[in-house]
Amino acid sequence: MTRLRRLAGVLAGLIIWEAVARGLPGSVLISGPVPMALHFYEHAGLITRAALETTSNAVPGFFWGNLVAVALAALVVVVPRTERVVAALALLVFCIPLIASGPILRVLYGPGDGPQIALAALAVYYTTFLAMLVGLRAVPQSWTDLMAVYGRGRFDTLIRVRARASLPYLFVGLQIAAPAAFLGAMIGEFTGAERGLGVLTLRAMRGLQIDATWTLATLTAVIAMIAYRFFGWLGQKLVGYRPVILLSAPGAKTARSLPARAAELVGITLLVLILWQVLMDGFGLNAFFAKRPADVALFLADAANREVLLSALGETLSFTLPGYLAGLLLGAGLAVLLVLSPPLSRAAMPVAIALRAVPIITTAPLLVLAFGRGAAGTVIIVAVMIFFPTLVACLQGLRQTPGQIFDVFNSYGAGRFRLLSAAQIPAMLPAFFASARMAVPSALLAVTTTEWLATGRGIGVLMALTSSTSNYNMLWSCVVALSVVAVIFYALVAMCERAVLRVYASEQVA
Amino acid sequence: MTYPTHLNRRFFLQTSAAGAVAAATGLPAQAAGLRAVNFQLSWLHSVQFGGSYIAASKGYWSDLGLDVSLAQGGPNAPVEPPVVSGNALVGISAADYTAAAVSEGAPFRIIAVAMQKNPFAIASLAGNPVNTPSDLVGKKIGMAVANTPVLQALCTLNDIDINAIEIVPTQYDPAPLVSGQVDCLLCWETDLPVAMSVQGIDNTTMLMADHGYAVHSQTYIATEDALATRRDDLVALLKGEVMGWNDYLADTDAAAELTMEMFPDAGLDLSAQKLQAARQVPLMFSDLTAEYGFGWFTDETVAANIETLALLGREVSADLWDRSLLEEVHG
Repeated sequence: MTRLRRLAGVLAGLIIWEAVARGLPGSVLISGPVPMALHFYEHAGLITRAALETTSNAVPGFFWGNLVAVALAALVVVVPRTERVVAALALLVFCIPLIASGPILRVLYGPGDGPQIALAALAVYYTTFLAMLVGLRAVPQSWTDLMAVYGRGRFDTLIRVRARASLPYLFVGLQIAAPAAFLGAMIGEFTGAERGLGVLTLRAMRGLQIDATWTLATLTAVIAMIAYRFFGWLGQKLVGYRPVILLSAPGAKTARSLPARAAELVGITLLVLILWQVLMDGFGLNAFFAKRPADVALFLADAANREVLLSALGETLSFTLPGYLAGLLLGAGLAVLLVLSPPLSRAAMPVAIALRAVPIITTAPLLVLAFGRGAAGTVIIVAVMIFFPTLVACLQGLRQTPGQIFDVFNSYGAGRFRLLSAAQIPAMLPAFFASARMAVPSALLAVTTTEWLATGRGIGVLMALTSSTSNYNMLWSCVVALSVVAVIFYALVAMCERAVLRVYASEQVA
Repeated sequence: MTYPTHLNRRFFLQTSAAGAVAAATGLPAQAAGLRAVNFQLSWLHSVQFGGSYIAASKGYWSDLGLDVSLAQGGPNAPVEPPVVSGNALVGISAADYTAAAVSEGAPFRIIAVAMQKNPFAIASLAGNPVNTPSDLVGKKIGMAVANTPVLQALCTLNDIDINAIEIVPTQYDPAPLVSGQVDCLLCWETDLPVAMSVQGIDNTTMLMADHGYAVHSQTYIATEDALATRRDDLVALLKGEVMGWNDYLADTDAAAELTMEMFPDAGLDLSAQKLQAARQVPLMFSDLTAEYGFGWFTDETVAANIETLALLGREVSADLWDRSLLEEVHG
């Protein structure tokens, strides 16, 4: 019965879609299900080959990216001293935009699939790393104490206790990663790949082949949805238990002295600069496009260059903060809404995944048309680009509410909202803050993409100019500026996080 | 994951519809121990590079001792890095891009010019046309903001106040024009207008080259190092190009069909390819090329380029162009 009703719902949706598409005659922005089906039927071979090609790059990228993420998270938990260095490096690598990494990957790999796989891996490792880090710590202190009493080391604790506890979070990571890997492989094709869905999408958009564009976008969304569902299903299968109650004593204040913090900051900065120089020299990358720290320093020593960069940075930041907050709010708000109304969840989730899986170059024109090129349009595009990890993580976080707590609330006849505000939202907080940290570099990248596509201002445009002016000094200066902003942003979010979680989830504040 | 380029190419040659034609040239290339050359194209495969495909499929290059791999470009695949790095012997660029790269320290020379006329155009709908630069006044133009210097140069050349034109940042796509968000687009004569025509949208273009904008496009660039050490390969590559493009001129439809056959997975449309192939002929072939041969340039065309480049804020000298290879090719 419910299945029948769901089918009817889908059918109604398709009919409305078709009617809207037909109601806008001559529209070049929207296509209906019927012409899309026809297009797919006519080009089934071509589209299937392209989908297989992109998938075959997304899968190894997904595997390697997540493997690295899990390994990094495990390292941080076993050797907590490495946390800041690992987190900083992970964040900085994630901050490098495609426009800077694309040429480097193509020169390193030559023709072939290398850059697509690498970009798929780069698109997933960071979110999984942060999700895993929360997961590996979601262990009651009494358990780790018990392990310590038995003389077990940190590694043993990791394998026997933490790994098990992290599984729900690992699957959150994998669910976020699945559409991201596919998108990463697709935009990886923009670096000169010969075939794949990304190539076809580019071609269709420039060719004004609206049916083709929509068919490709829909197919991309469907593939992403299947991957998302698969990992959701796998997670349910493997982690079919209610989480235990986390009752941890509030963490002791471990305030470090100011000089110690400053020393650490200098140390990490030096390490990053050395790694940057050594890696580029090690791979023999030409300094024409692979700039070193000294090139950037020299370039920024010129006041005129600094002026250009800083004024662009100012414009970018003025959109980043509202976009970031709107994205978080959208993600968390939607998660709460979906928990309150499961039927809504079934309708909204596919849209959410589609917005995440379809490249922004396909969705941006529609969003621009709907919301304009002003501040509102920019903020909405950014929010749409970053809300997905927050939504998934918060949904999982809401489900982390221990069963016994539900029972307590129920036995007192507490209402739905009381349960939500007093039990579920606090249980969601670690996941929410993890996604708030995930969203920091994503928001910056989203703003720069929007600037390039819609507003024509800010750092995004400065970076896009590189393609015609070869001004790689400016490009790498932009990368540095964005990285510094991301680190500061991240540190601020982490500060809020520690303050809040010290009260609600002290096991996270190691 | 990364296959050697010849494996990719051989696999493709054997499996593609063009296999029968191409295998005859592709396979002996391996046996004869030809010199491998990477040729970096500036954009996705299309008939834009039709002459090169003819050179590859007819074996012009292998006859000259070269095994040429054609690497396509893309939105995040600039041409200059692989050429600077030596991964590609030759790249397809444009005089303004090359001038910019040289000012950033790249040791490039322009060794031949495929598009004598710059392909930049202002495209508009037939009902609201832009036929002359003065028609731009009061219009909304959709373009990448990165191209503002190009529009500025056109305005300067034609005494138009750029502030009288409203620039709307759009992605490179005809949709903003067709959906009425802008009145015209800054785009190539040979891509977005062709797409609109194929979709049955009545449109018109104003070629900027017809209004003083003289910038060589689809230029062949190589490094000074390559010019010094791999001169023979460069000459052979250009010779194959010239032969391929001469065939292209003789039958542009055949070039479009070959492109479709060689790249079945590129999502190309035959009618669009045919139209594009025909439309780029007047850009690439002129009285000059009829007299001296494909790719040619003179001191006069170079001087005109230097003037326009100055308007774009690029100070270059005539040394950026090196005709000695072409002289060998056509000599």
